[in-house]
Amino acid sequence: MVDASERTKLIAPILLEVNGVSFGYEHVPLLYDVQLQVRKGEMVGLLGPNGSGKTTLLRLVSGVLLPQQGKIVLDGRNLRDWGRRGIARNIAVVPQELYVPFAFTVEQMVSLGRTPYINWLGSRSNKDDNIVQDAMSATDVIPLARRIFNELSGGERQRVMVAMALAQQPKLLLLDEPTAHLDIKYQIEMLELVQRLNRERDVTVIAALHDLNLAARYFPRLVLFQRGIVADAGPAQVLEPHLLKRVYGIDVQVGILRGAEHLSVLPPGVGELEDKSEQEPQSKVFVMAGGGSGERLMRALADAHIPFIAGALNIGDSDHTLALRLSNEVITEQPYSPISPETLEHIHTSLSHTKLLIMCPMPVGPGNLALLQEAYTAACYGIEVLLLVPVLATISNNNEKQLVIDNTCTSDELLLKSGIANRDYTNGEGTKLVRDLLQAGATVVQSVAEAVEAAKRVS
Amino acid sequence: MKIATHKPDLKELRGGVRVLPAPILLLALSCLLLIVILLAASFGSVPIPLGTIMQILMNGTGLFHFARQWDLTAEIIVWQVRMPVVIGAALVGAALAVAGVLFQGMLRNPLADPYLIGSSSGAALGAAIAFVLPFDVVFGSFFPLTPILAFAGAMLTVMLVYSIARVGGQTPVVTLLLAGVVMNAVLVAFQTLILTLSPHAQFGVQALFNWLSGGIAVTSWSQVVIVGIIILVGMLFALMLSTVLDAFGLGEESAAHLGMHVERYKLLIIIVGSMLTAAAVSISGLIGFVGLVTPHVMRLILGPRHRLLLPTSALGGAIFLVLADLLARVVIAPAVLPVGVFTALVGAPFFLILLRSNKREYRW
Repeated sequence: MVDASERTKLIAPILLEVNGVSFGYEHVPLLYDVQLQVRKGEMVGLLGPNGSGKTTLLRLVSGVLLPQQGKIVLDGRNLRDWGRRGIARNIAVVPQELYVPFAFTVEQMVSLGRTPYINWLGSRSNKDDNIVQDAMSATDVIPLARRIFNELSGGERQRVMVAMALAQQPKLLLLDEPTAHLDIKYQIEMLELVQRLNRERDVTVIAALHDLNLAARYFPRLVLFQRGIVADAGPAQVLEPHLLKRVYGIDVQVGILRGAEHLSVLPPGVGELEDKSEQEPQSKVFVMAGGGSGERLMRALADAHIPFIAGALNIGDSDHTLALRLSNEVITEQPYSPISPETLEHIHTSLSHTKLLIMCPMPVGPGNLALLQEAYTAACYGIEVLLLVPVLATISNNNEKQLVIDNTCTSDELLLKSGIANRDYTNGEGTKLVRDLLQAGATVVQSVAEAVEAAKRVS
Repeated sequence: MKIATHKPDLKELRGGVRVLPAPILLLALSCLLLIVILLAASFGSVPIPLGTIMQILMNGTGLFHFARQWDLTAEIIVWQVRMPVVIGAALVGAALAVAGVLFQGMLRNPLADPYLIGSSSGAALGAAIAFVLPFDVVFGSFFPLTPILAFAGAMLTVMLVYSIARVGGQTPVVTLLLAGVVMNAVLVAFQTLILTLSPHAQFGVQALFNWLSGGIAVTSWSQVVIVGIIILVGMLFALMLSTVLDAFGLGEESAAHLGMHVERYKLLIIIVGSMLTAAAVSISGLIGFVGLVTPHVMRLILGPRHRLLLPTSALGGAIFLVLADLLARVVIAPAVLPVGVFTALVGAPFFLILLRSNKREYRW
């Protein structure tokens, strides 16, 4: 199936590199540590629920916003160093909708795409005219050339915007939900057009999309986004029901409809909702993490194919993004919010079905202190609780007493070894709860491997 | 796989229904301006025939030498009284129209006029201060205080409004408009306060009323030359910004995508627009309507491309104001009416007719 052109794409030079980019408005983090590489000639669909940060990512890539951390590299050069005009000659953006108060004609609109190439006198050469003409014929808007842009239908307007972007002669075309306001006919026309430009003119495309079916049909590579990249692969891997459920929070069916060539995503039938949940393996393991403390454990659990529930994690936390990808269920909390009573109730119910709770060495603050309380309750009900110790902590505390954990350790020693004192930001309340936990029978484990062994036993 | 059925030449497209060939249009408007200027110089308390005016003016260039068949006073009236006022009116009209194009284009708001972001109240406050001060001339004797303080007031207010509206490196249009409105209110309060508390209040209020209603107040050529230089430089800058203004029409985000430093250009447009407005206000007081309507009329005739819109609006504004000033001088001669009355009374119906005759829904 992989033809020659597909193979060249795999070895094509990297056009765009998003390197550890984080961004937020007014201290509210929106994107966390985004890592993305796009090669020349690729066609990438960006998926994610509303408010997942897709548009923000596109604005960062187009240079309108500057990343607060990390960098974006275009064609081997930091985007900041390209300058606005330089960026505009390489990256064109097709916005979702364009409100133009003036009565520009279509031809005038398209020729505005030459703006990054013309000097301040505004004189256009024959070459500019030819490029404008070419962009209009490629997008089939020549018959509209003398019409007023505002008086066109949504689909026609969208084509004119693509023509304008094309007149910029971009290497990279960014589209922000290009089909959002269109009916099905124009949606398909639009994506056919984008695909044709990608194939015939070798324009690299990144498009934010809402429609999963159209994404599956037209985009060989999909990036599932939720404040960070949750999955980045072909449609078959990304459009996976469990993954979609965790990211979008709704049950869906994915399959190939009779006579079709591509995956389809459908809402579940009425009767099928029940079947689904029975087929899904029951998770016996619950992971509490946060701030990156659960990364190694969650990866290890996933590698061992042990289903687990993770929670409660804040949107934007790197552990949340990772959990969306690896766990069976994620209990999600709003960005930077303390854990709400509803979420706590959800955790309580989930915990009552599990057999093992693993607490990662996360920082404990007023926001997530409730998690420790919940863990204590669980321990009292006889659920096995493991306290995972950070690797570094065991080494730094290692002065006189050997940190061998055995049956002879007193609870004070265990408390010391749990390293809670170093990450307790609650004036000792967290430490007190950990002490209670240890007295209720929680055990301290020093390595991820030990925790995974314990998880295997109960699964 | 559709194939374009016909491929009309781009040149043909550009000469569309709404767009007349640009050079012809500019030439026609320039001729019209010249005719209007001659007419304006000919009418007045002492009528001077058009032919005489032309001969006097051509003699003035030093290239022609027509035998003098007219009274010497006519020559003095034409050169020392009428021409400074007529040229002043043309400059003010051009400056206000260009400033209107700049502000409407940048703010993407059809209601924007040159006075919108504070230049009017700033200039008025400056003028009010000038009227209550006990002296009235600076620079020896040839330059009155009022235009200087009006100019300074307008520029300072706009800069203040701009810096108030600036939030975190950006100047959103909404905050700019709101800051302008608030600043206007505050400055009008100050102006009232000054006039009420001043010992010359009686005289000041009347003078200020006359000034506010607008009128070309030029006393010497030196004034016209100074203001003219500022205005011509401003118009040249505006012309260089035509590509930027076109891109701004798509919205700031899209302008950025087209490679524009949006914030820098916004500041530049505000500076150029306010400079033009302040220069105009300094010799004319507040003349409404020219800056608002001229750009709209030109857009209806020519379409929105700024490269053509800016020079034609300048010519249109000049023609409009020279005519209005002419009417103001002759309607109840020898008394002179405020020009603002005529810009509104003539401009508004003309604009409305144009608006209604355009069959499609009005897009500016």
